[in-house]
Amino acid sequence: MSHPLEPRVAAYIATRMPDASGIVVANLQRISGGASRETYRFRLIYAQGGRTHDRRLILRRDPPASLIDTERRVEFEAYRAFAGSAVPVPKMLWLEETGAALDHPFFIAEEIEGFQASPQVLFAGGYEAVLRRVAERKWTILGEIARADPMALGLHRWMAAPAVDACWRRELDHWEAIFDRSEAEPQPIARAAIRWLRANPPPPARKLCVVHGDYRTGNFLYDEAGEIHAVLDWEMAHLGDPLEDLGWGFNPIWQFGRGLEGGLLPRDQAIAIWEQASGLVADPAALHWWTLFNCVKGQGIWVGSARAFIDGGNREPIMIYPAWWLTNAQDRAILKVMG
Amino acid sequence: MIPDVPSVLGELAQLLIRYAGPGVADAERASALGLSSALLAMAAEVWDGAAQTLVQENRALARLLDDAACEADLRLSVLRAENARLRGLLIAAQTAAETAGDVARQTAIWAELRVSTERRKLSVSLV
Repeated sequence: MSHPLEPRVAAYIATRMPDASGIVVANLQRISGGASRETYRFRLIYAQGGRTHDRRLILRRDPPASLIDTERRVEFEAYRAFAGSAVPVPKMLWLEETGAALDHPFFIAEEIEGFQASPQVLFAGGYEAVLRRVAERKWTILGEIARADPMALGLHRWMAAPAVDACWRRELDHWEAIFDRSEAEPQPIARAAIRWLRANPPPPARKLCVVHGDYRTGNFLYDEAGEIHAVLDWEMAHLGDPLEDLGWGFNPIWQFGRGLEGGLLPRDQAIAIWEQASGLVADPAALHWWTLFNCVKGQGIWVGSARAFIDGGNREPIMIYPAWWLTNAQDRAILKVMG
Repeated sequence: MIPDVPSVLGELAQLLIRYAGPGVADAERASALGLSSALLAMAAEVWDGAAQTLVQENRALARLLDDAACEADLRLSVLRAENARLRGLLIAAQTAAETAGDVARQTAIWAELRVSTERRKLSVSLV
């Protein structure tokens, strides 16, 4: 049985490919996960230039309500900015910012086939021999993101550029506001952490960088040799302090219970790889601030997912899962980082 | 746990009916049922001790705040509302202790927060 979205996606693509004929969308299936976007893979079959084409594509569509609230355009442009660079990303094709075609904003991209993203698969034993290689690639690519010039990439047209001494405040204000409007029960540990962060600000960012916003094990595609083929999930991308991304990866949640950063490496080794690739130095006190901040941000996301379910905007199980599974673990992570 | 367990179980009941029928892609069915299974396991883990955990935490918070924990109604929804009231008061008390530089008070509050966090820990916790 075909998916009801298939003819609608085909009709949309026909408007974007006027030289193609016989456009068919087939095998459209939702991919598991994706609490912030609905993600589908599908085949696009069409005739053009005297031959038949069969391509594998990805549709990323906004859900009715999300655990995070982000701009589709920002994510699309972040992917596009890094195309062809040392930061591997899937190729973006089309962006629609209205709900006219598919009820909600969406974009369509090339699928990068044949690779894994799951941390559970990575840590199940079959990849043990290449975990060091995955780690080297993971933090090298993050260093490349930090090294990139957001102005040269043109991202300042889509992302606000805070002063280097205002990066921390903008992010903290943003996530505290999410607690204010989303928390369904008081969060004393996160609130205490927020007060500490505000009373003990970090030094100004060494430079203004592209921040991926969700750079962690689980958000890149890897292969059996330990190579990384694409960095995914740029929906929280923004301009800010490069230590923010490093600190997000050091949220103890993302150790997946393995006692290593990202489940992959001791912290000092991860930092050394990142420093070499980025050309920056990770000040320990500033990195501690950003790590604790990212624990608060994580809790803000889990609180937001619970709120999306409670308000009825999105009743999918994926909205409940992080709230149940991670809220207490995130509190434990905050306590661990605060010492 | 938030969202509360009864509302989640009700939603899962509807989901199971939806995904048991024909016309659902195998991958979507597998994903939805896998997530539902994990949620049911978590609900099963907390269910027996949920009231006990809330009563313990509410009593500890009330002692710390020199307040009186209301236990006239032991339904989970009522205990949870009382817990939210007391946790709200705790945030105010902790903020006041920080402003006043009352280290002993801060230490006592942090001790309770550590105990309550441990009390709520799930077997599948990542930390």
